[in-house]
Amino acid sequence: MNSLFTPAFILLQDASRFDNMKQGLLHPDLSKFLIIGALLFAIGVAGVLVRRNIIVIFMSIELILNAANLNFIAFSRYLQNTGNVNAVAGQVFTVFVIVVAAAEAAIGLGLVIALYRNKETIFVDRIDLLKW
Amino acid sequence: MVLSGWESVFFWVFALTALVAGLLTIMARNAVHSAMFLISTLMSVAALYVLLGAEFIAGVQILVYVGGVMVLFLFVIMLVNVSAEEHGREELFNSPSQVTAAVVFAALLVFGLFYAVNMSAQQFAPGADTSTTERAATLRSGETRVSKISEDTQRVGSSLYRYGGLPFEIASVLLLVAIVGSVLLARTSKQEIASDNTDAEGEYVSTVETDASGDVA
Repeated sequence: MNSLFTPAFILLQDASRFDNMKQGLLHPDLSKFLIIGALLFAIGVAGVLVRRNIIVIFMSIELILNAANLNFIAFSRYLQNTGNVNAVAGQVFTVFVIVVAAAEAAIGLGLVIALYRNKETIFVDRIDLLKW
Repeated sequence: MVLSGWESVFFWVFALTALVAGLLTIMARNAVHSAMFLISTLMSVAALYVLLGAEFIAGVQILVYVGGVMVLFLFVIMLVNVSAEEHGREELFNSPSQVTAAVVFAALLVFGLFYAVNMSAQQFAPGADTSTTERAATLRSGETRVSKISEDTQRVGSSLYRYGGLPFEIASVLLLVAIVGSVLLARTSKQEIASDNTDAEGEYVSTVETDASGDVA
């Protein structure tokens, strides 16, 4: 049955590689979670670098922290399967990351409000008080 | 750690939702829409946590992020005036050269991370690349090896309080400092003047309305 679908791809790659890819799609393992985490991280970095609105930049930072958390949880699960004694350490660390993220959001948004009162803008390229 | 059956279907659904909503978060013109897309990203990541057997963290993610942090974000968005950006009078992104440099940098980051994941995933899998398919074959249909809901929370809790007691207390002090700091930062200028203007004897100088006893209203 599998060979019915292979001819379209056989020009590009051999059948065993296609089977590997299909197996990876049907049975996602650790590396798939890591790739999703990496892509979320890259999206967050792009958001921080590209946007002008400081609130959206804060949201991108939350995205970056979530990508790191996803890696922690994925590795924690991986270690549980290998029978590591303290495999839930990754989940415990994730709790602390969430705590720090909440504190960071509270302080950061307080700064945004103070900044908006003084400078009447939330665009990062208008906030150039320290620029030469 | 191999998912199979419906788990893999849900994995792809939630992973793609997280990525698409994450992209829309940084591309939406309206900041409120950005916040909504970020909420769907966070919910999808919480679903991925459930697939990974971390139900407690998934619950914390939804309660703290969606229930707390994102509500804070929405309040701040409504406090500051972003209508100029929404109506297209303001540029959404930085200048084109800056955007190009940033996108090139992010693409390099993605390629580097893909390379690293590919390299390390082969090392982590015991018995090279055939082990994935073999382990999937030995997994009986319907057997998922996750969904032990109470066990996970119990283990996280005991690990947190047994090995992470001191970091736990430090985190609570950090939260207290964050509360005090954000209250201080978000004061209005009127409130600031009222608390800062004291004369040499430590009495309040009334720049705002005071009552008979001299306390600041």
